[in-house]
Amino acid sequence: MKFVCLNCETYMNFQKVEQPAEGSLGVFFGCPSCGAKFSMVTNPGETQMVSSLGVKLGGRPAAAEPFEMTRGTLKEEAKAGMGQMAAYLNEKIGGGQPVKPAETAAVAGAAPKEGEKSGGSCPFAAVVAQMGLGSTGKSGEAGQSEFTWTPDAKERLERLPSFVKPMVQASVESYARRQGFTSITLQVMDDAKSEPNGIAWTPEAEQRLENIPDFIRPMARREVERIAKERGAASVTAHIMDEAKDKFLKFM
Amino acid sequence: MTDTTSAAMTPDKDLKSILAKLQYQDDAKVVQQITAQMQQVRARMAGVKHKIAVMSGKGGVGKSMTTVNLGLALARLGKTVGLLDVDLNGPCVPRMLGMHGQRLTITPDGALPPVGPLGVKVASMDFFLDDTSPVRWKGPMDLSPVWLGLMEMNVIREFLGDVVWGELDYLLTDLPPGAAADKPPVIAGFIPDLAGAVVVTTPSEVASDVVQKSITYARDMGITVLGVVENMSEYRCPSCGAEGELFEGDTQAMCDALDVPLLGRIPFDRTLAKTFDKGTPLLDENYPTLRRYRQIAERIMTLVQYRKVLAEQL
Repeated sequence: MKFVCLNCETYMNFQKVEQPAEGSLGVFFGCPSCGAKFSMVTNPGETQMVSSLGVKLGGRPAAAEPFEMTRGTLKEEAKAGMGQMAAYLNEKIGGGQPVKPAETAAVAGAAPKEGEKSGGSCPFAAVVAQMGLGSTGKSGEAGQSEFTWTPDAKERLERLPSFVKPMVQASVESYARRQGFTSITLQVMDDAKSEPNGIAWTPEAEQRLENIPDFIRPMARREVERIAKERGAASVTAHIMDEAKDKFLKFM
Repeated sequence: MTDTTSAAMTPDKDLKSILAKLQYQDDAKVVQQITAQMQQVRARMAGVKHKIAVMSGKGGVGKSMTTVNLGLALARLGKTVGLLDVDLNGPCVPRMLGMHGQRLTITPDGALPPVGPLGVKVASMDFFLDDTSPVRWKGPMDLSPVWLGLMEMNVIREFLGDVVWGELDYLLTDLPPGAAADKPPVIAGFIPDLAGAVVVTTPSEVASDVVQKSITYARDMGITVLGVVENMSEYRCPSCGAEGELFEGDTQAMCDALDVPLLGRIPFDRTLAKTFDKGTPLLDENYPTLRRYRQIAERIMTLVQYRKVLAEQL
């Protein structure tokens, strides 16, 4: 943060920092041209923000102690009473009224509408509802689509676990959109899967990828496709695989 | 913030044109100190060969149990290992390893971490707390999570920058639970040259749904997801050793859809869990569940050197 002396059209210099009250900083600036003085007084929240950065305004005379901020900010007392700064904020934010946890929950939008079940005693009901994973299971159903799904493609989609379905549907439709298809067939689904990044693999390149242990294969596929993209190649060929191998050999 | 000025204001001046003529100077030395902090993190992490974050969008899936056992498995495989427990509000790694009550040794050169079973070094918020004390901060954090978030991120920065790990083969960081646009991927982004993240889930559909979001978000942050560990994949009877399903989810389907490897499945093992609960961890490398952790650890060792595998086998 800097201050400008509008009379002299120059930055004011940082001069010193004082603590006029608990939770407050008085930061002094002076104009190097006209000598005008300026003091910025922070409220507890602003003070905390500076403190949380682990910095000392004006610089440090010596390096920070290990865990200086952690040790200096942990409350040592067993009971956490509302401190002066917290009380100040309570007054400013809550108008002097205590902020109740229940009110906070209501603000978060977790309150059920009239006529809806409150979710009973399940503490995660609001979260589950927010995720659309409630008892209706709607999030798992194939969503509205601009594409026509053939019955066999739709059946394959429906066989997937409900939580995976939206992701697969979005991925297949994104591929179909890029390719200009209007209907989703089994072939389109297969093609979308084999071209996750829009790059085709020749059979020979695919076969060479099989040499890699299965748990490294996804990473290998991504790396090779990245190299193919860097080279401006439209597909991954044996030649691209050779280039990738050469590149990885250089890391050894 | 309140302002007081001793000079008369001249509001008709054009601030934009004034600023265009001025050169910024960091005379409060804030930027300089933040830069120094990040350099210190980088310097501390320089001695660690492979830095891995263990995360999950979902709480209660067994991140800490997975982190601890992967650390012990790597140690059994002859690696030097550090465990960084940055679940500030629910630190449990020290208790699981029988190290609760120990402290970091503060020296002028940094904080020395206590050494646990199999030579594993550990740093945790637990080492700052008394027996039953939760984490409580001074300041206005009681009322606003805005300041709390900033504060916690800087405490984590101190854990990364102030602990003297020395030379390590692996540093496993146990991240707090949190879904997509939450702290964990941001914390992971703090760690320089992170090898990647291991994501823990259970076969529960709800857990998988949240976990897949955090995988997507981690990737958006540029974090390599090394793979998924399915915890509580089944239940192992403590009497007869027979195994049965606990959930009816399909982690493999999630991994296939996300194109990420399933590194292994760990059963819910009451016998093993009990030893960690009591702080006397089972260390017998021939114990069936520990053999599974070993297989996952071996896969992680291969994954962090994937370039070598690709150079040899592609």
